[in-house]
Amino acid sequence: MKRQKRMKPVLIFWTVIIILFLLFPFFIMVATMLKSGKEVYTIPPYWIPKKIALSNFITIWTQYPFARYFLNSFIIAAGTTILTTLLCIPAAYAVSRFRFYGKRLLLYMYLVVQMFSPIIVVITLFKIIARMQLLDTYVGLILVNTVFTLAFSTWMLNGYFKTIPVDIEEAALIDGCTRSQTIIKIMLPIAAPGLVTVIIYSFIASWNEFMFALTLVQSVGKTPLTLGLYNFVGRYTTQWEFLTAAHHREGAGSRHRGRCGKGLILTLS
Amino acid sequence: MVESKLILHRRKGYFWSTESKLAYLFLLPATVFLLAFMIYPIINVIIMSLYKTNKIGKLVEFTGSTNFSDLFQQKDFWVVMLRSVYWTGLAVAVKTLFGLILALLLNVEYKGRKVARTLIIIPWASSVPVSALLWRWVYHPEFGLLTHSLRVTGIWKNPPVWLGQPVSAFFSVIWVDIWIGIPFMTLVFLAGMQAVSKDLYEAAVVDGANTFQKFIYITLPGIRDVLLIATLLSTLWTFNDFNTIYLMTRGGPAGSTHILITYIYEHTFAWWKWNYGAAMAVITFIILSIIALIYAKVYFRREM
Repeated sequence: MKRQKRMKPVLIFWTVIIILFLLFPFFIMVATMLKSGKEVYTIPPYWIPKKIALSNFITIWTQYPFARYFLNSFIIAAGTTILTTLLCIPAAYAVSRFRFYGKRLLLYMYLVVQMFSPIIVVITLFKIIARMQLLDTYVGLILVNTVFTLAFSTWMLNGYFKTIPVDIEEAALIDGCTRSQTIIKIMLPIAAPGLVTVIIYSFIASWNEFMFALTLVQSVGKTPLTLGLYNFVGRYTTQWEFLTAAHHREGAGSRHRGRCGKGLILTLS
Repeated sequence: MVESKLILHRRKGYFWSTESKLAYLFLLPATVFLLAFMIYPIINVIIMSLYKTNKIGKLVEFTGSTNFSDLFQQKDFWVVMLRSVYWTGLAVAVKTLFGLILALLLNVEYKGRKVARTLIIIPWASSVPVSALLWRWVYHPEFGLLTHSLRVTGIWKNPPVWLGQPVSAFFSVIWVDIWIGIPFMTLVFLAGMQAVSKDLYEAAVVDGANTFQKFIYITLPGIRDVLLIATLLSTLWTFNDFNTIYLMTRGGPAGSTHILITYIYEHTFAWWKWNYGAAMAVITFIILSIIALIYAKVYFRREM
């Protein structure tokens, strides 16, 4: 025990070193987003901005279409979240409460589907979306995003539903509730943490989605933030001070990831 | 099992009982959706891999396995395959190692541990596209502060143009993938370690075990399941990592950072060789199915 006490400062020291090492890029991000264009492009570069330029944050909103990107991302993510939630609630309920032929097969399918890389389907999905005339639309992206959030969401919600005792539901059924009423009035309120996890997960997953946006979107009017940032690097002579400022904004949107991670770990263990 | 209670009284002939009709009804929307946008495209991709296609991806002529044999004769294809393997192997190994070390460090109790844990999550909390672009700036040869800091502090007097040369580009990109993956590993391992009973450690101390022995004989067996699942998941994610590579190098310079996933995308949407893209997608599908089945086996073994 004594030795362990002596070890503690050493352990803390190493933890701090590793954390600083891992957070290194973010220090650069902060340093860059506070600099003006002139200061960013000096050789040799330096860490501390000479004059703090907060104007970057204003410029990305006013001179570049980042407000548009932001709105697009929001519409797509919100649409995906709503569709995912609507589809996964009945499915998760059925899987957790009923016994039927092919249940195991179905569970396998849900588990395996979430393992698949989007790349396998993107080739033909592109053709399907094109045939449905949904290229470069919100609906097309929402549909495609939902495919990849649905399996995991169902799986996770199923886990939450399973923990709710059947007795509560039986009591409600005896009191004259219908099935859908028990789901809405009893199951969902009790499984609210699970539902919140599903909502946050699907929102963030679609907010961060890049490959399908790259494939299915052409116009600025429908471009989400991830693709917008990528195009920004290529199209304009890259203005890294704005980019890092924009990163910062996007980061604010995904702070809830930690919660989602908790849900993920919950389903894992 | 909890769910059996409700339907116990209709066990016999339950297939067409109202209960299971209701089950199918509830499952219908989600399943139809998955069939239409997941299974149907996969079947289509398999079909496409057996055809010759034109520039817009129309099937022109049935050619059987020609696409596959063409691919197998290309040296580039094998180079990319091999790179995917050691990309995945190396990245997962380093992530696991880093995750284990960090989890062990964070498992010690001290003030400020919560802060440390929150800080660890940050690389994971910011999205992959954002991180990849941020690292591109970090790696910038002239204005990037990484090169500059290494030079000034004298750690590395003459660092390479990170993303400019094949070898350094590969290691620069794989580091970003690792960097993004470390927090997940750490958190999962930490959760696993905290589930290991403290009594075991105390008993081991009484028996005179040292720190290393405690790790080998108590911690590792205790987190075995978590370790297995996290590593499998990480293998899938790393193998599938399109964003990091595409956003940082797009497979370049000179194709030196292509893995199978990005190679498929470039084949299809940059060079418009749909049939080769589809053939490689089928190969990916087979590889992923194998990993996924192993995962499912492991998962169900614990669950049911």
